Amino acid sequence: MTLIHSSPAPVPFAPRTARALVQSLAPLGALSGQILLGLSFPLALLALWSLGAARGWVPPQILPAPSVVWQSFLDLCADGSLALHTNASLIRVAEGFALGATVGLVFGAAVGLVPALRAWVWPPVQAATRVNVLAWMPLLTLFLGIDEALKVVVIGWSVSIPVILATARAVGDVPATLRELGAVLNLTRAQRLRLIVLPQALPQIATGLREGLANAWQSLVIVELFASFEGLGYLMTWGRQLFQLDLVLVAMAVIAVLGFSLDLSLRAVERWLQPWQTGAGHGR
Amino acid sequence: MTEPTPALQIRALSKVFALREGALEVLRDITLTVDPGEFVTIVGASGCGKSTLLRLILGLDRDFRGEIRVDGVPVTGPAADRAIVFQDHRLLPWLTAEANVAAALLNSPLDAETRAREVREHLDLVGLSKFAKAWPRQLSGGMAQRVAIARALVGRPRFLLLDEPLGALDALTRLRMQEELKRIVAHEGATALLVTHDVDEAVYLGHRVVVMQPHPGRIATILEVPPEARADRSSPAFVALRDRILGLLGVGAIEALAV
Repeated sequence: MTLIHSSPAPVPFAPRTARALVQSLAPLGALSGQILLGLSFPLALLALWSLGAARGWVPPQILPAPSVVWQSFLDLCADGSLALHTNASLIRVAEGFALGATVGLVFGAAVGLVPALRAWVWPPVQAATRVNVLAWMPLLTLFLGIDEALKVVVIGWSVSIPVILATARAVGDVPATLRELGAVLNLTRAQRLRLIVLPQALPQIATGLREGLANAWQSLVIVELFASFEGLGYLMTWGRQLFQLDLVLVAMAVIAVLGFSLDLSLRAVERWLQPWQTGAGHGR
Repeated sequence: MTEPTPALQIRALSKVFALREGALEVLRDITLTVDPGEFVTIVGASGCGKSTLLRLILGLDRDFRGEIRVDGVPVTGPAADRAIVFQDHRLLPWLTAEANVAAALLNSPLDAETRAREVREHLDLVGLSKFAKAWPRQLSGGMAQRVAIARALVGRPRFLLLDEPLGALDALTRLRMQEELKRIVAHEGATALLVTHDVDEAVYLGHRVVVMQPHPGRIATILEVPPEARADRSSPAFVALRDRILGLLGVGAIEALAV
């Protein structure tokens, strides 16, 4: 306001006023600057895409214009089909993630805590984790059929692998100094687990869980491409078969946004679980 | 009248580490007796096995020859009658200062109310009652080490082991903490064994100073600290004793310091 109304002000002052304004916004600027920087790249891509579509660099059958994709998004929202597909996919991801995270945490903790178990099962487990879950699909199909069970198990499988690896490593690698402290304080095994082993393992386990969640979304698309009648992956297959690439792009965008927001929520949970990292929460 | 049982009795203690290159003798023929309520300091160059000795007394390592008795009972493992303060404060980052201190009382027979009072009193003793709810990362090095001292003392151990507890602190904090340590240990009436490579610290805090030599670690001599040396760092008695110990440690003549 002042900048606009100060038309009689001598010109040399203008830059200084502008600088003062920028400086007064500095504390905000640090954060919003990062957000702006983060947004600038996708916005630039979007601009390039619009320009390309308008100039006809790519045939619209292969890459529809952003406006077309947006219209499809609105249509899919209006007729409720997007909600239906998203819901089906979210349920699969939730079930698969719950299964994989539970198996991964329990098995990883057992392997990390019991050296005998580790010696016994670890080499074959490590070898098995090297084989992508896709390669297991033919075998799994024989056991589980091609219905819902297969999808949840495949998603769960892909979730469990990073969770097992992270949990086993984190729980097994207690620094010698902390182990010594547990001995000196005469803690029981349960107390050592609760006070030392688990809290020090938490950051690594959380990273494993987030990696597992990312895997869940990737596997979701793959299992839904394959014998399903609903879900975002199905929407993509259908769009591709009809040569309606706008449907494929809408599904991709929804998966990206959902995956990203779920990852952010997991990070928030992680921070909430570790108030000592930020010094906030129950601290003074 | 019979002699009181010594708080600590070490007889003909030897310790050998088995390494790939062969056996490494770290402690040879250590014999030391500490009376209840006594503050004994051990000083020596690095590699003289000071910290190993403390680990053996704690019961963290039971592979040695000779004998270690605490209150007349042979050491078989860590127990609540012995507490240690390490060089690093070793507080658990996920527990508040208060909870870190309370962790030492988890298996004590005291009821919850008494435990809470003991924790409060010991935080007060180290001057940190206002920081009971602070996370370790919010504390300075000196404050964190004071919490560690409170944690070691809260179970009222008969024996306090101090493994270069002030070694990581800056010079000023260190001087202040030496005063506090002396006051706190006297207040608790604990028997204390402090390992350090700071000769001034050894003389100022100890009733007796054990001078150790390295390769293998052995006791060179044990010196009584005269009360006036222990009371005043600038007293002639203090300076004389310090110079004598420095000479024993091979630091040689330091005329500049021998006022």
